Amino acid sequence: MPGERVLSRDPTDMRKVSQKRVRQDAPVLCQASDFAYHKTHTSLQTCTARLQLHVYLNQAASGYSKIYPAFQDVNVMVIFGFGFLLAYLKRYGFSSIGFNILAAVLGVQWTVFLERFLFPDKREKHLPSILTASMSVVAVLISAGAVLGKANPFQLICMAMVEMTAFCASRWTNVYILEIEEHVSLMHVHIFGTFFGLMVSWWLTQASLRRETGKEDSDVTSDLFSVLGTLFLWMFWPSFNSVLVDGVVKKRNAIHNTYYAIAVSAVIAFALSALTNKNGKLQMTHIHGATLAGGVALGFSAHIIHSPWIAMVLGFLAGVIAVLGPYFVKMCLNSAVKMYDTCDIPCMFGMPGLLGAIAYVILFVIYNWNNLPAGYPALIEVGSLSITILVAVIAGFITGILLKLNICKAPPVSKFFDDQVYWEFPHLAVGF
Amino acid sequence: MPSSSFSTNMRLKFSVLAIVLEVILIALFGIFVRYKEVNIYLLGEDQTVHIELYPFFQDVHVMIFVGFGFLMTFLKKYGFTSVGINMLIAAVGLQWGTLMQGFWHMKRGEIHVTVKSMINADFSTATVLISFGALLGKTSPVQMMILAILEITLFSCNEYLVVDVLKATDTGASMTIHAFGAYFGLAVARVLYRPGLKKGHENEGSSYHSDMFAMIGTLFLWLFWPSFNSAIAAPGDPQYRAIVNTYFSLAACTVTAFAFSSLTEHRGKFDMVHIQNATLAGGVAVGSCADLGIQSFGAMLIGFVAAIISVIGFKFLTPFFASYLKIQDTCGVHNLHGLPGLLGGIASIIAAAVKVEHAPFHPVSPGMQAAALGCTLGIALIGGAFAGLILNLPFLGQAPDQNCYNDSVYWEVPEETKQLVEMPSEQDTQRFNINM
Repeated sequence: MPGERVLSRDPTDMRKVSQKRVRQDAPVLCQASDFAYHKTHTSLQTCTARLQLHVYLNQAASGYSKIYPAFQDVNVMVIFGFGFLLAYLKRYGFSSIGFNILAAVLGVQWTVFLERFLFPDKREKHLPSILTASMSVVAVLISAGAVLGKANPFQLICMAMVEMTAFCASRWTNVYILEIEEHVSLMHVHIFGTFFGLMVSWWLTQASLRRETGKEDSDVTSDLFSVLGTLFLWMFWPSFNSVLVDGVVKKRNAIHNTYYAIAVSAVIAFALSALTNKNGKLQMTHIHGATLAGGVALGFSAHIIHSPWIAMVLGFLAGVIAVLGPYFVKMCLNSAVKMYDTCDIPCMFGMPGLLGAIAYVILFVIYNWNNLPAGYPALIEVGSLSITILVAVIAGFITGILLKLNICKAPPVSKFFDDQVYWEFPHLAVGF
Repeated sequence: MPSSSFSTNMRLKFSVLAIVLEVILIALFGIFVRYKEVNIYLLGEDQTVHIELYPFFQDVHVMIFVGFGFLMTFLKKYGFTSVGINMLIAAVGLQWGTLMQGFWHMKRGEIHVTVKSMINADFSTATVLISFGALLGKTSPVQMMILAILEITLFSCNEYLVVDVLKATDTGASMTIHAFGAYFGLAVARVLYRPGLKKGHENEGSSYHSDMFAMIGTLFLWLFWPSFNSAIAAPGDPQYRAIVNTYFSLAACTVTAFAFSSLTEHRGKFDMVHIQNATLAGGVAVGSCADLGIQSFGAMLIGFVAAIISVIGFKFLTPFFASYLKIQDTCGVHNLHGLPGLLGGIASIIAAAVKVEHAPFHPVSPGMQAAALGCTLGIALIGGAFAGLILNLPFLGQAPDQNCYNDSVYWEVPEETKQLVEMPSEQDTQRFNINM
């Protein structure tokens, strides 16, 4: 296991070592008390209790039935959460949800196929493999959000294939060459998806979209659908951040930290949304983005943080970045670089992800301060982050060129953000 | 439109309150809250972090945020506030609830949180969300944040009194959450009575779409109610009984709610309000005795009665409350949470009196159940009236009567555009389709 090799780097793993000791001790204890059963009934009870405890401490890390509830949550996030999150355009709901599930299931199958070759440890374990594939495919969904309304299904399928290949390659590098924990390597999806999506979006919208057609707005119903998706992502974020973490204590930390961090980032999103509006009114787009930022920011470090207030401070910062970020980023991206991004992907996923990665490195150094040198592993974390970004940018750039080829039949600008191009509207054929 | 440009300008009030509150919460968490350390060489009940309850927690979480949030979207112009402020209240409330409930169970000056405390924190927010239902459309976000702080404080005191002092059984929290939240909300609504809305308001009603959104909430509440009632039950038989009892009670309740909805309407049509709310009354009512051995027929009987009183409450009691008692109960929480909560308390008294099977080491007595019900009602009504007086302060960003039940006072609501700039012709679309 790639995860096992890096055990000694993390002090919390001492617990894991002691758990292993119990595992070896337990059968011996049991035999001893079997022998003494007729004399003292209580020692058997003690032994049973200890065995139960030992089983309890290990159960979260092993066994399909223990992963399954969290796997369900991740599945709901990927298919339902992301689909409805992107359904906020008033004339693009069918495509947002429909193409989301199309890209997600294709991406999952392709990733499971690739992982059989790249990660041979998991060859016989289907559920964990599907789980990591479902989490990897989040990168595609984030990129799909960046090109929302501007790509046809054929382009999305191409993008999903190329992106998943690139992400698996970068993850393989991170896990096998740099020996990053598998859980942490998967948390790079947010950053990878953002940079990839931005590059593709840059190619697809270079010359265009200076005229407002009124199709890129939301209405009340579509905004409510989008909140439905946001809420499901928000609620299940603790599962996403904890499902791959080994060991009860670390898993528990990951759950608690994410839970408190997203609560804080939600409150901050509401507060800053009112503060940045001249009438003091709340804006739904802020609520969509900033509530999620806390979960993204906690992805890297959720399992190593020991006290809730650190997680809450991170959630606070993520909320601030996600609300105030668009004001600065939009200025740069839209006017200077002419990169047009409908749904604030960089502020929803990219910048909180970077914040989380930086916080992870800092916390890592702090927690390992006493057993230095911590510099080397910390540099490796920075290196893996750079590799992820580099691969994402290069792959996204190439994919963008591919998608501009004539064979893809990219939709013209006048057909952006419009369901009618791709779907039958029998009831609304006239006048819609 | 004058109403869409109107705002109470809560730019500074709201954001300063929220940020200051959040900083205080982070500081309090830094001082008091610790993750529980597990020492695997010590044995006993204390050594668990309850991670096996995580699936239950997720279900409860869905109920709080999606269930309660979308259940309240039935007003035609109030969807954003229903879902959004619901989320805000719950996010603030779960942090405050962790602290308040933790203060009653401190060890060495520290609060040790487990997955079970996360479930309990979510529960404590449910009381505020129920009260929010009674006040929906008439309060500002600033008022709701203050209400969340006050109500959760009182809730945790009442819960400590019921569970730890009186040792009453209330697994699914019919009394401590549902009845408490409903009567607290009604008391606040009485103090905040708006005479200007006596004849109703043009936006106080549903549209076809908003009713569909409300059904999303109903369905998620319905689906996960067995988890809600069993999440903090003792593991083993009591938890299993709680799941099964709730399941059957909800099923019986739903059928009865449909029947009585049709029966009380003079042309025999269903009323969507009943379907959205009365179908859930069974889950509320069975809460108190969910983990007792009341058998499936007992649970179904409770669900049956709950549906009847809930439908009848919507039909006759809500209009009576509005006109005679001066309580404007927007969502009808009295019929969904108040009356079924009372029924749950009474059912638990009866169950204790006939000595049904109970959780090990936790006997139930009719006297203590009755005392729990009484003190819950008392604290809720008095506390609600007190909270109402505080919320009546004039500078909390209240909307005037004519702007009630309207999102645009507190939200940037997208304009309803009738005409798009560019109308694609049929021919144009077809040519493009062939290309693709």
